[in-house]
Amino acid sequence: MNDQWTNRLSEYIDGELDNEERIALEAHLATCGSCYATLAELRQVVARAQSLEDSSPPADLWPEIRARMTPAHGAGVGRRGADRSRRFSFSVPQLLAASIVLALLSAGGMWIGLRSTKPTVTADQNVTSPPSDYTLASAGRWRTSTDAAVTELEEALARNQGQLDTATVRVLRQNLAVIDRAIGQAQRALKRDPGSNYLNLHLANTMRQKIELLRRANALATGQS
Amino acid sequence: MPRQVLEDTLTADSIGADTALAASGDPSAFERLYRSHVARVHSLVRRMLDADEADDVTQDVFIRAWQKLATFRGESAFGTWLHRLAVNVVLARRKNVGVERGRFITDDEPLDGVTGRRETPELSLDFEEALARLPEGARQVFVLHDVEGYRHDEIARMLGVVPGTSKSQLHHARMALRRHLDR
Repeated sequence: MNDQWTNRLSEYIDGELDNEERIALEAHLATCGSCYATLAELRQVVARAQSLEDSSPPADLWPEIRARMTPAHGAGVGRRGADRSRRFSFSVPQLLAASIVLALLSAGGMWIGLRSTKPTVTADQNVTSPPSDYTLASAGRWRTSTDAAVTELEEALARNQGQLDTATVRVLRQNLAVIDRAIGQAQRALKRDPGSNYLNLHLANTMRQKIELLRRANALATGQS
Repeated sequence: MPRQVLEDTLTADSIGADTALAASGDPSAFERLYRSHVARVHSLVRRMLDADEADDVTQDVFIRAWQKLATFRGESAFGTWLHRLAVNVVLARRKNVGVERGRFITDDEPLDGVTGRRETPELSLDFEEALARLPEGARQVFVLHDVEGYRHDEIARMLGVVPGTSKSQLHHARMALRRHLDR
């Protein structure tokens, strides 16, 4: 069955053989029952492919699409939006790095949750470096400026997230949710123990992680990375 | 005017109007375009990629369409433009995830686990399952050529291979599907 003509049968079906080859193949088909049968089956495959019916996705995708359709990306704003249509994804190493950050944050949150007594900072604790100008006295002022930066970056990301693909947006939202939970835990712990050096440092570093993630996402979305 | 022709004309007019409205920034018009085209786009994506990626990539296609509507000049039907856009998104995704380019089928082993032919209404489902088990390169050529109607020179440009490779992949895919359906 697998003679020299078998591999030409698809080209024959698609009308891609030249006249000489077509005549030779048709002569062969007249004497080779196996190729003749194969030809009929291949035609059946082609017919089946052309009769496949389309089906809608099981879930309605529109709400998610609508949420990501920002006016800035709409066609009505002219070509600028179209020229910036490149889309970005986090790479695997970037996602791995994010996972490590989340693991650390989760560990920090759990640590805070488990500590019912006032924590004591010791020299060998694995705490990420605080901002260079950070002191307990300046915590309130620093937090206010950080909150403003976070708000600004979140608004920018809402405008730009259409440039990120769906899987990246989902991971980004999950990561931000975990960071927000860690921030909430630190803030609740600080209400109970406002003078805790450790908690203030932990909150400051968690906020810095959030700002860094938002900056990275915005840079990816706007093609500045 | 025959009824079907009239309906087709009205549908085309409606899509044309919605395309213009969506291009001016009307989300409701774009939703109507989504509703009328999502099945075709999702089916294309599902057949070209793994099924579990289909929802995400379909969303990406429509987001991209919304962003690029300003470049749609009406030289082709909106559906044709959207379809080509979907193919581009799928191929970019394929490149993005580092899928090996232009793999050949060396045998039909990937189809061994699929149930055989049944002359029932479920036949189409069996065929889709068999299609999903083809190696990536052969599956994409088969979908683009036999399901979507692209020519080999177009497919070769899209996939970055020579037309002979596209023809060879197509034949191997057809032979594998034929043998599977023969059981």
